[in-house]
Formats: sequence, C-alpha cells, structure tokens
Amino acid sequence: MVFTSLNFLIFFPAVIAVYFLLPQKFRWMVLLAASCFFYINVKPVYAVLLAGVIATTYIFTNLIDKAKSDKKKKVLLIADIIITLLPLFFFKYFNFVNDGIFTLLEYAGIRWPLPDISLLLPVGISFFTFMAIGYAIDVYNEEIEAEKNIGIVALFLSFFPVVMSGPIERATNMLEQFKAKLVFNYSMVVSGLQMMLWGYFMKLVVADRVAIYVNAVFNNAEQHLGSSLFLATLLQPIQIYGDLGGYSLIAVGCAKVMGINVMQNFNRPFFASSMSEFWRRWHISLITWLTDYIYTPLSFNLRKAGMKGIVAALMLTFLISGIWHGAALTFIVWGLMQGVVLSMEAVTKKQKTSFEKKHNLNNKWWYVFIGCVITYLIFAFSLVFGGTGAAVSRGFYIIGKIFTDIAHYPYKDGDTMLYSFIAVSILFIKEFMEEYYPGRILLFENKKRAIRWGAYYFVIFLIFYIGVLGGEQFVYFQF
Amino acid sequence: MQQTEITEKLTTVFRTVFSDDAIVLKNEMTANDVGNWDSLTHMLMIGEVENIFSIKFKLKELNKLKDVGTLVELIASKIAV
Repeated sequence: MVFTSLNFLIFFPAVIAVYFLLPQKFRWMVLLAASCFFYINVKPVYAVLLAGVIATTYIFTNLIDKAKSDKKKKVLLIADIIITLLPLFFFKYFNFVNDGIFTLLEYAGIRWPLPDISLLLPVGISFFTFMAIGYAIDVYNEEIEAEKNIGIVALFLSFFPVVMSGPIERATNMLEQFKAKLVFNYSMVVSGLQMMLWGYFMKLVVADRVAIYVNAVFNNAEQHLGSSLFLATLLQPIQIYGDLGGYSLIAVGCAKVMGINVMQNFNRPFFASSMSEFWRRWHISLITWLTDYIYTPLSFNLRKAGMKGIVAALMLTFLISGIWHGAALTFIVWGLMQGVVLSMEAVTKKQKTSFEKKHNLNNKWWYVFIGCVITYLIFAFSLVFGGTGAAVSRGFYIIGKIFTDIAHYPYKDGDTMLYSFIAVSILFIKEFMEEYYPGRILLFENKKRAIRWGAYYFVIFLIFYIGVLGGEQFVYFQF
Repeated sequence: MQQTEITEKLTTVFRTVFSDDAIVLKNEMTANDVGNWDSLTHMLMIGEVENIFSIKFKLKELNKLKDVGTLVELIASKIAV
C-alpha cells in the first residue's frame, strides 16, 4: 500500500478512527495490527522476513541485556548483527557479490558460477534492518534496556508510517512513546495533517512532475543534447528531494496525527553551503545512523592516526552508504565521491574557517550563495551515478556529453516545463522564507482561519491541477 | 588533579583543535556552542585529550557524554584511577 494510493486514503482514516475510539491501553495494539495489515498488503511472504528480524532482535537484545560479561555481550551482538543482515544480503547483494567473485575467478581461469537468483527486493528491508541493528547496538551500549514486550518491538520495526522508506528511527525515541499514553492531541493532529498535505505536494506536484523530464532525458541519453542532459542533471536532486522528502513528511505527519513524534528526515538541504552541511540536512535519519553506528566506532578506533583516521573513517562510512543504496558499482562510485569531497572539506576546514573569519565572509550573502550553488552542483553531478542507478560508464557518458554538447537549447516539453517551474518555485520560495525569514509569512500556521484554509485549498488545488496522479512509485522503495 | 586544572588544560585542547582562541569552557557547553565542534573534529579532540591527560577512553563512555561538564568528570575519574 503506497501513501499516494486510494487504498491508503481509506486505510489511514479508518485506522485513526479505531485508534482514537478504543481505550488508551489498546492503542498500541491497534497500531501493531494496522502495521501488520499494511505490510502484509504489499506481499504476504515478505512479512515472514520482517517477523524473522523482529524475533531475532527481541531474543538477542534480551540475551545481551542478561549477559554478565562484556565478552559474552559482544559475541551475542555480533551474532545478532550477522543474522539480521542475512536476509538483506541474500535479497540485495547476493547476485552482485556472486557476479563480482566469479568474474574475478574467470580472469584466473576458474569457471564455477552459482546461478543468479531472481528475487524482488522486499520493500523496506534496508530500513527495518538498520533500525533493528541500531536497537541491538543501543542495548549493547546500555543506552536503552531490552524491551520485554515482543509486541512493542514488533511495532517499532513494523510501524506502518516508516516501515517502507524510513525515517530510520531509533528505539531510544520510539519505544517509550509506544508505551506511554497515546492520547488525542488536537494541535498534533492539525500539524500532522499539514505535514501530510505538504508531503503530498512535494511528491505529486514537485517530484513526479519533474520526474517526467528527468526520466525522458536520462532514459534516452543517446538521443538527447548535452544541454538537455545538463538540465536533467540539475533537476534530479529536486526530483529525489520531492520524492523522499515528500514521503518522509507524509510519514512524519501520519505518526504525528496519532500523537507520535518521528524524527525529521530533511532540513531545507539546498540551503547548505558545504557538503558537510548538506549531509546534516539531507536524509538525516540515514546519516545520523551511519554516524552513530559506523563512523563513530571507526573514527574512535582510528583516532590515534589524527586526520588520516578521520579521512579513512569518512571514506568507509560513505562507501557503506553507497552500498546501502544499491548493489551496483554505480552506487559505490557515488558513495566514494561523497567521501572524497567530505574528506577534502575536513582536511581544509581550518584554513577555510580562518580565511572566512579574516574576510568576514560568512555574513556576505553572495559568499553563502556561491557555496550553496557549488554544493548543489557537486550533489547533482554525483547523482548522475547514484540517482539513475545505471552503469558507471553511462554516468561518464552523460557527463562527457554535457561538457561537449551544451551549446544548444535543451529539449522542451511545454506543460511539463511550465508546471515544474511553478512547483519548484513554490517549494523554493517557501523554503527560502523558512530559512532566512522564519515566522515572517505564515500560511498553514496563520492565526486567521481564512488565510489558513485558503492555503490548504490552494495546495489541494495544485495537487489536483498540476500534480501527477498516475501512481508513480516512490524512488526509495527500490532501496 | 583539580577540576579547574582539568578545565584549563581542556581549554587549550579545545582552542587548538577547534581553531578558536576565544573559547572559554563552561560545564554546560555542548557542540552547539562551539563553532567547529562537529562529528569530524570530535574524535580529533578526544584523541588529543587522551594524549594530554595520558588516559584512554572507552567508546561506551564517550557515548554517554552530554556536555563539557560530563567530559571533565570523566577525565577526573580516569586520572583518579
């Protein structure tokens, strides 16, 4: 069941009605039942995998909690991580590793291939696997006690707003909320519905409209001019932001309506003036997960190496980020590109900071603007590898064509261009005001009912008038 | 070693690692209050603290740090051992 489907528009109000009508003590059970129904609805057989991850997590976290010695805790944690990762490895990486190993062996004259396994990737597996591992590590680090109620663990890992595409939540934030009083809170319901409405705008009006142009050009790169490829490259970050950012807002909004606070996944990423700032604003739940569970232990173990240790930890973390996104060389290249840029920023940070201080540059709008443009361009060009998911050679072909064949007018598609321009402009103006003039112009939060409702109707009008209602999938479902 | 002495030494480390000679440490300070204190420079600072005070942290201990005050307390407990 997708957030943009008619089924969801029936499912969600029904869940809310039952949820608030039943006494408080049954509410977490309603959420668990709804989450099971939601996931089983996608493909029942995949629910077995989710159930397996839930059972593994429940058993091992409790064993870790009870273990007396540090050594035993560590062995249990490693066993838990390996078992939890097995389904993800099998469904996502088996063919990639299989192909890679046997291609290498063939070079050595050995031919012994295992058959490729043709399986669809279970939806959300990358997300709930990371949530499960994060929870086990938190128990190991004594940041949280192992939950004794398997129903609460099941709800944490299957919670329907986030199970498909995140945000990748933490047990430290969610478990207490599920166990606390889940009460009706009018302001949270309103705020949640507002988030959902804006999320639908980002997905249906921005992402899916821009996707028409991006897909048309990238899917036929050979037939398109360098200028069209350049325009598609510039538009792709907005498409991905509208898609995952929109999805995340709907997810956070859904949870909020039910009185549950889920972490924000994006914070106006295109106003970042460096890549390190960008990664504090883009897909926050993934990056903070990687920071806490991969980068921090790595950099801790390499701390004696100083800056070299930091660079090595950064490169490895973003390599893992690339691999998490997909089992293909193109994602690895994308991850390494992020690692290289961030390492360069880390190494030159002292000099950059003192230069900026000396010339008082951080207060100059043009300096911040140039930083934002450069950051955007770096991310946009890296997405030619990480966004399209095509072969690395294809990424280089597209970039080569951009630099050799740009002196033409790009391919135009009248309605798509006009509607995309309107949608993207509205998104950027809203985010610009929130970034630099917070609270100056209030629409959804305006005290005057007429303005508030006028804004709601305007967004709904835009969704129906220029939104793409044809059921485009969410990009991050493939991860 | 007294807490004030630890804070003094720690201030030198902070000023060097975070490239800001104006840093004056207070117990309630967090990464949000120091310009260059982020996840990249954090571990550089930790490595430097270990060198200066001749101590060794565990990752679990670092995960529990909340502010400068808890870092000073952790250093004091390590020196006392």
